[in-house]
Amino acid sequence: MTNFWNLVQNENMKIYLRLRTWIMLGIIVLIPILLTVGLTLVTDDSDGNMWELMGTETIIVFSLITIFTVVISAESVAGEFSAGTIKLLLIRPWSRSSILASKYVALLLFSILQSIVCFAVTWAINALVLGYTSDPGGIIPESSPMEGHSIWAYMGVHYLYEWLQLVMVVSFAFMLSSAFRSSGLAIGLSIFLLFAGGTITGLLTLTDKAWVKYILFANLDLTSYLDGRSPLPNMDMTLGFSLIMLAVYFIIFNAVSWTVFRKRDVAA
Amino acid sequence: MSQAPVARLQEVTKRIGSRTIIDRLSLEVNPGEVFGFLGPNGSGKTTTIRMMVGLMAMTSGDIEIGGHSVRKEYPLAASQVGAIVENPEMYKYLTGYQNLVHFARMNPGVDRKRIDEVVELVGLEGRIHDKVKKYSLGMRQRLGVAQAVMHRPKLLILDEPTNGLDPAGIRELRDYLRQLAQAEGTSVFVSSHLLSEMELMCDRVAIIQTGKLIDIRSIRGAAASEHQQTEAREVLFEVDHTDAALGVLQGQGGVRIADGQLALTAAREEIAETNRRLVQAGIRVYGIRTKTKSLEDQFLEVTGGESVD
Repeated sequence: MTNFWNLVQNENMKIYLRLRTWIMLGIIVLIPILLTVGLTLVTDDSDGNMWELMGTETIIVFSLITIFTVVISAESVAGEFSAGTIKLLLIRPWSRSSILASKYVALLLFSILQSIVCFAVTWAINALVLGYTSDPGGIIPESSPMEGHSIWAYMGVHYLYEWLQLVMVVSFAFMLSSAFRSSGLAIGLSIFLLFAGGTITGLLTLTDKAWVKYILFANLDLTSYLDGRSPLPNMDMTLGFSLIMLAVYFIIFNAVSWTVFRKRDVAA
Repeated sequence: MSQAPVARLQEVTKRIGSRTIIDRLSLEVNPGEVFGFLGPNGSGKTTTIRMMVGLMAMTSGDIEIGGHSVRKEYPLAASQVGAIVENPEMYKYLTGYQNLVHFARMNPGVDRKRIDEVVELVGLEGRIHDKVKKYSLGMRQRLGVAQAVMHRPKLLILDEPTNGLDPAGIRELRDYLRQLAQAEGTSVFVSSHLLSEMELMCDRVAIIQTGKLIDIRSIRGAAASEHQQTEAREVLFEVDHTDAALGVLQGQGGVRIADGQLALTAAREEIAETNRRLVQAGIRVYGIRTKTKSLEDQFLEVTGGESVD
């Protein structure tokens, strides 16, 4: 049997040989540059803290990274069905689980690549324009469990939490993509999840029902913990609790994707 | 080469809801033969093919390819199959070559040299580095054949392969399939609703209708020709004076005049004998033609010309 990596290489080829992927990466590079340069020009002030601006830009760019990964993931399964290429893909000497796994791995690699590009660009442009400093400025609140750690460690954990949220949204998109074979539906609902999540969490804080903390939205944004807050201020929640909840949802999403994809009859 | 069948379908049944799409279908495809799978539209040809390549699950029964069950050992069974299911849909945003590299990575033992070889085989050398979206249907069909044969499968499965091909393309494909069956011992399983085409391409043809196997017939090969030697068939003689010829042959099996020609029923040796008698009687014979029962006649005979329901 040939190597599983061959399958991942194929999926990579289908991602990186398309123009749109490079447009996405271009946008990720461009946005922090425009923001930093634009803000500096507008405020005519170049003594801001590079880490503060980097943190703000990261939050903006990460929404984009999530959207881009959702688009690619929706296309990755549903697109093969709508183009009919799924037939030629599934008649190879591979189990369907391996084929789906290779797609999932390629998507995660794509999201990691984008995160690295985002980190590199936001760091470099802000260090260049505002000057490098190891002073975190006001970015780490006093209530943060990371208080006293270096700004590098704080940024690293911030990226990790943002990425975990991305993995959840992408797994959700992947599930819809393989369940409904419709990339539009997968993209739409996942972006809804990404943006409505915050609003819905806000609404949920108004109730004091205990079950609210088990809802996906309430656990999606782990960066609250990084700033020493709870995602639902009136609830007793810990990082460990949220990680467990996310793991449960992660397993459910992927179990659905896998089951549907493995059992599905490929017709027309 | 072993004579064990390359593909064996055993009591294959597919039910969707209460509808039985394929009903206890059993057949075997032998090594090196071109096996036709004939049936009207909607008779279950594509469904059967989809089950053979693992795109659809069987409700009951099993399919073995090279002795491996599609149900239980799918990767082993699939490694011996090359297929085009319906249209050869390739990745349009990749070049032809990138498409082949993609599928080559999924099959063990296909290197760059083999890819070049199949590109040449299907005659796409000039355009292989163009994006597939610029290809004509015929070129996509060729690329489809290339991806199906590049790992030297024991069984090549083609679903309606001549759809959208021009007559030259059909002829080329036909010659290529026969060559593949003879030279490399590849078995070919080809479905079609076009009878005349199957007649030219296949060694044996299975006829299905509404999901049931109706008949399997040999089109050529030893069995068929032996059959032809002894069986009396309708023969037409083209002669200068039909009336005089009728007189000479008076009393011979069913002799009559049809469409200005002399028609009679005769076996192979009798044809030569009849000709000798005509010539000896001074009648000029311009042509002798045996009316073979075409597959179309056979098909209509076994299906009773029923419509699809």
